Amino acid sequence: MSEVEMAVIKPEMMKSYIWLQTADGAIQQVEQEVAMFCPLICHEVIHKGMGSSKNYAISLPQRVNPAMLSLILDYCRFHQVPGRSNKERKSFDEKFIRMDTKRLCELTSAADSLQLKPLVDLTSRALARIIEGKSPEEIREIFHLPDDLTEVSGACGNCVCLASQFPYVYNFNIDYILQEEKLEPLKNTTDDPRIRLLNRLYAKKRKELKEREKLKNVEVEEERVDERSVDDLLSFINGKERDSKVIKSSKNKKKHRRKKDQPKNTCSNEATKTHKQESNGLNLVCLSAEVGYKFRPDLGESSNVQNVEDDIFVRKVDFEDVDVDDEIDPALKEKIDREVEDFARRLNSDWPERMQEILSLGQDMRPLHHSINGNGTITKYAK
Amino acid sequence: MKQREPPKSPCKIETELDKLSNLPAHVIDQILSQLPIKDAVRTSVLSKKWRYKWATIPHLVFDNLCVAISSQEQTLVKNKLVNIVDHVLLLHTGPIIKFKLSHRDLLGVSDIDRWILHISRSSIKEFILEIWKGQRYKVPSCLFSCQNLIHLELFNCLLKPPSTFKGFRNLKSLDLQHITLAQDVFENLISSCPMLERLTLMNFDGFTHLNIDAPNLQFFDIGGVFDDVNFENTFHLALVSIGLYVNVKTDQTAPGNSCKLLRFFVHLPHIRRLEIQSYFLKYLAVGNVPSRLPRPCADLNYLSVRINFNELEENLAALCLLRSSPNLQELEMLARPEEAGMGVLTNFWEVDHWNSMFSQLRIVKILGISGIRSELEFINFVLSNSPVLERMTIKPASPEGGWDLVKELLRFRRASVRAEIIYLDS
Repeated sequence: MSEVEMAVIKPEMMKSYIWLQTADGAIQQVEQEVAMFCPLICHEVIHKGMGSSKNYAISLPQRVNPAMLSLILDYCRFHQVPGRSNKERKSFDEKFIRMDTKRLCELTSAADSLQLKPLVDLTSRALARIIEGKSPEEIREIFHLPDDLTEVSGACGNCVCLASQFPYVYNFNIDYILQEEKLEPLKNTTDDPRIRLLNRLYAKKRKELKEREKLKNVEVEEERVDERSVDDLLSFINGKERDSKVIKSSKNKKKHRRKKDQPKNTCSNEATKTHKQESNGLNLVCLSAEVGYKFRPDLGESSNVQNVEDDIFVRKVDFEDVDVDDEIDPALKEKIDREVEDFARRLNSDWPERMQEILSLGQDMRPLHHSINGNGTITKYAK
Repeated sequence: MKQREPPKSPCKIETELDKLSNLPAHVIDQILSQLPIKDAVRTSVLSKKWRYKWATIPHLVFDNLCVAISSQEQTLVKNKLVNIVDHVLLLHTGPIIKFKLSHRDLLGVSDIDRWILHISRSSIKEFILEIWKGQRYKVPSCLFSCQNLIHLELFNCLLKPPSTFKGFRNLKSLDLQHITLAQDVFENLISSCPMLERLTLMNFDGFTHLNIDAPNLQFFDIGGVFDDVNFENTFHLALVSIGLYVNVKTDQTAPGNSCKLLRFFVHLPHIRRLEIQSYFLKYLAVGNVPSRLPRPCADLNYLSVRINFNELEENLAALCLLRSSPNLQELEMLARPEEAGMGVLTNFWEVDHWNSMFSQLRIVKILGISGIRSELEFINFVLSNSPVLERMTIKPASPEGGWDLVKELLRFRRASVRAEIIYLDS
């Protein structure tokens, strides 16, 4: 029988269907009362007369893929029945919403594109419940968000400053505060120790910026700037997560090495350690902030003087007791040195000069003065 | 069935996995609006895209959750709160639809004036301000220029609108508790909000005559001290709860006073739920109470009354009301604690006068009784006149004499074969 004939014969006894087409081209038919529960489909049927046959299937928005459509239709199929009690509906909703977060997001998107507000309300509430009370890392992990706020072009002080008003932000990432151009002290009415440290850091940097301009020892400094910036950059890139715990342990465990002739060695050490999150858990500059807080504030002048005359100071946060430096054989060292140099050149050409300067300034704060003896061991002498 | 695809770069994989960040802005707003403000703002440190997603959330709620209550002293907490609100308001962009400020350490400060000014510039629809402690906070005049307001809720405030105030054109819901306003201000406020559907007034002062002229009013809930209440044009009023917290003065019972009960119900033809609390029944009983109302309350299906069973006038008023509510389904009688010097009422609730008065009554609760004669007679009365009663719950005020009470209850005849009597221990 043709479609027309079938339509004539007892139309009231036949269930009417709406034809829907998803973005991938697949066409399916859905019971009319179920499909009409979606405002978008309802609009298409009533105002545009679509959906009555396969050729005139309603094209659904791209955000509705077949899997999501199936879920949405399940939802509609349940809720379009008028006789259900509130308790039943709520119970269904609670079971319905149990799915992994990826699907939940897709479902929210699909429901929104179909203008199905009750489902959007339900899913957005569920997503809010997932987000609530979690730390930024947890949220990033659950939703696969990129942790890209450490890039230069990214941050500004505002969101971080505001986050500081809510002091239970875990892993408060000072890294991207430091990219704040102005180095202006943050208002610390809440007496947050991190803000205090930060302000001191800013003060130091401003001071050093001035002094650096005075001491125009270009050659040595530039070379050092390069080296240090690489170290800094490497540890910076890797030093994202910073726990208060880590800070505390770092205060106890940090070692500062002063290399006489082998600046590149230390770079290489940094390079080999890049994958170890723990060891590079602290941005060098952060560390200096912590340390700076702990020790005397007159670091600026002493360190600068040191820079000019002494050998290269390499700032390293070392959480391991093993002294890796001394164990790399020369051949490997050379290879690593070359790699690092290339890397440094590439990085240096991309990063604004100012950033390098600022980062390298962090190097200059050395409250603890170490020297390396001939046999490679470190003697720590307090100052 | 997965197709083999070339391995993607980590960035690409991540952007594909990240389904959340690319949801439409209004959906993200909706999600973030359902988080406490603290969590919403903290999303700014999640990733680049998320830096300012929170800044467009239409609902801003600052309550006890947003500042961690530590052992810090009050001013510190208050300063923190002020800081937070200042920062958030400054960084927020876009319309603010709902604003709620309710923190227990917040006193009426000039900061709030400043915030209200900011809010009033942004087409706010819902405004809730609760000052937990201290004197009444004088609401600044800029609040009265928010013509988009749909819901206004104030706690512990003083309202003195400017003379140019012409009402809130769009206001549907008004909730004023512990507030002060003058009589004329109150009347003007009510009558100049034509869309008003819900009105809540608790513990108010500055006015004592409640003249409610609100054609769209559906819900009315008051509790406080007043001299009289008059409804005008309130034909849609369906839910009413009134509590008069102070005893009615006896000089008002002089003859010549028209019956307040009559006047009360004149403009409430469609009332569905009625709660008469504290001393309001006594107020209604003033004047000559008729045996029944001229027009029955055909829609009334729930009635809750606080009554002193020993007081004749109150019982008369209750009887009148019960006789005029043929479709009552649920009844609750709360006994007011005995007042000294009252007479004893007996033989008031006699059984066989009005058969099947309660033809629809299914659920009855009688709470706080002490076992006096009048109460027992009333219970008997209800049991005998409710053919479809399903459940009667009785709760005494104190455990003494409970056993005797139960023995009496057992003897009462029940018109409904399905009736359960549930006796709750006090």
